[in-house]
Amino acid sequence: MIDIIRLLVDIIAFYAIYLLLSISLNVEYGYAGIPNFGKALFFAAGGFVVGSLTSRLLAPLAGIDLHQVNFKIYNVLIATKVSQYLSGNILLALTAFIAMIILGAIMGGLLGVVASYPAIRLREDYLAITLLAAGELARIIARNYDPLICGTLGVSVPDPFAWLPGIQRSIVQAGIMMSIAVMVWLLVERIARSPFGRLLRAIREDERAAEVYGKNVASIRMRALLIGSSIAGLAGAIYAFYVGSVHADDYTPIRTFIVWVMVVLGGAGNNAGAALGSLVYVLSDRIIMQVKYYITVPFDINYLSYMAFGTLLILVLMYRPKGILPEKPSLTIDFSKVISRLREEAEASPEGSGG
Amino acid sequence: MLNVIADAIVFSNLLALMALGITLTYMTVKVANFAHGDFATVGIYFVYTLFIVVGVSQYFLLPFAFLMGGLVASLSYFLVFKPLVNRGVGSVGLMIASIAMDMIIRSFLHIYSDIMQLETKKIFRGFIFQDFVFQIYNWTLPGILVVSTILSITLILSLHLLLTKTKMGIAMRAAIENPNLAEVLGVNVNLVYAISWFIAGGLAGIAGALLPFTMVSDPEIGWQILLRVFAASILGGLSSLYGAILGGYIVGFAETLGIYFLSKPPFNISTAYRPAISFMIIILCLLIIPEGIVSVKISLKMPWRRKQ
Repeated sequence: MIDIIRLLVDIIAFYAIYLLLSISLNVEYGYAGIPNFGKALFFAAGGFVVGSLTSRLLAPLAGIDLHQVNFKIYNVLIATKVSQYLSGNILLALTAFIAMIILGAIMGGLLGVVASYPAIRLREDYLAITLLAAGELARIIARNYDPLICGTLGVSVPDPFAWLPGIQRSIVQAGIMMSIAVMVWLLVERIARSPFGRLLRAIREDERAAEVYGKNVASIRMRALLIGSSIAGLAGAIYAFYVGSVHADDYTPIRTFIVWVMVVLGGAGNNAGAALGSLVYVLSDRIIMQVKYYITVPFDINYLSYMAFGTLLILVLMYRPKGILPEKPSLTIDFSKVISRLREEAEASPEGSGG
Repeated sequence: MLNVIADAIVFSNLLALMALGITLTYMTVKVANFAHGDFATVGIYFVYTLFIVVGVSQYFLLPFAFLMGGLVASLSYFLVFKPLVNRGVGSVGLMIASIAMDMIIRSFLHIYSDIMQLETKKIFRGFIFQDFVFQIYNWTLPGILVVSTILSITLILSLHLLLTKTKMGIAMRAAIENPNLAEVLGVNVNLVYAISWFIAGGLAGIAGALLPFTMVSDPEIGWQILLRVFAASILGGLSSLYGAILGGYIVGFAETLGIYFLSKPPFNISTAYRPAISFMIIILCLLIIPEGIVSVKISLKMPWRRKQ
């Protein structure tokens, strides 16, 4: 029984993370047409912020002098100490959690602004390779530069929900993650329907036409990347807290590709599509994780699922290039309502137009 | 120091062969092909399997690596890229498809090596190929240095001759330059593109089969080498085969010699940063000279042209 609850909690938590990531790619690629193949980089930005700062900032409060201990070697111990301290101080724990994920989002957003420099200038495929290379560069630096996240060892993250016992802790955490994801979803949905969202699509369809109408394409693209990357940074921060540790090798390009699979599969430019894509992926991934221990095959089943997803992706590109749930025309004012209201007004006033 | 230069030459030879392939496929279908590294890995595993079965030196098995790499590449052209291009899928869509190809091939190789490891009780991850040594007077040259240099020079020369002297090659260049016009003039563009993909995949297969002589190989190696190859072809401008060769040698030398000097005092940087050099080259090159070194040559010619 506990096992099923745990599985469900795990699915919800991972779904929240991948939902955030696919929404963020949807803002960038689906709405603005910027092919961001460096999603892992912005995801890592949030994770690295949480991994490198949480323990260090809270350690003095928990009574640890960082000048006297070797952070790299004792980071697991320090994180445990900090978690214990946080379990006695719920308010501080929640403040730390919220502050760190906001910081992660800011870090991701900053990187997004930096990434807009090539994004404005380069052609689509060149931009993709640049961002991919930037992500790998960041990963190699993080893996080898110890002061950041303790190099190859990885760094342990304090648990801001340690004040809850047992399974309740996971349920509350997953619930908070999911509600953050839903809030971001609503926000992005609102942005997509605003004049700014329509502008993004206009630029995606025809950059020159948008420019002719006096729109600053460069600044709009930068804003799209800023929004998308801060969502990815937020997802990275939440992920780091959920997993409880940050390893550089967790942020490989395969993560970027998985997000692409979700968005292309579900339907670029439609958040419901992105949600469906990530649901399909997370469900299959988590269930495979569970089933793996009961099936004996001489290889890792994950590879079989990667092959299946690759084939599915190619088939979707061939036969349903707009995804399972294609983009819908953007909602504007309902004209039939406007006309009927005008008519009502005209009828109400006796000196109407000739009537 | 001589060792380092030998390493640099070998690495550059392999990078140049693979960069040629990426450039060739980019020129035909306009796709930044992320599956190119896996064509190399397929070459490695085919040669390794044959080596276990037959037991002759891997150098004699290189033609099979060419065939296998070419086969996989032309199959992926026929089954994936051609249908997608016909349906009007844009460059981002093609790139996603190539990543999907990469996931499929790489995962297949993982499964293959797991099963084979169990069946044959041989190492299928993290293996290297045993090299032999050339003895000239009192110089000892590693076999890979001699073989890869001779091989890449011959392959590059024969590709050059193919493209400039044969009817086939001229048709290839015509089809790349202007597919519609070539089609009108009776060139079978589809066949020509398939042959280009075969050659590209074959070059990757050969380069791949030589990789385990210098690096520990597993199913991920093609992916690990891919971004370095992209660095080489981007530096070469992705539109010129000669640029790709030049790019391969520049990136190969920059990476090998660069990390050699950076790991010495006064820098003392860990050699684990080695791939970072290539990634920096990609980023800087795209930001400063996005058309590659080939474009630099043209801009240098400009003042001379104006004088006339």
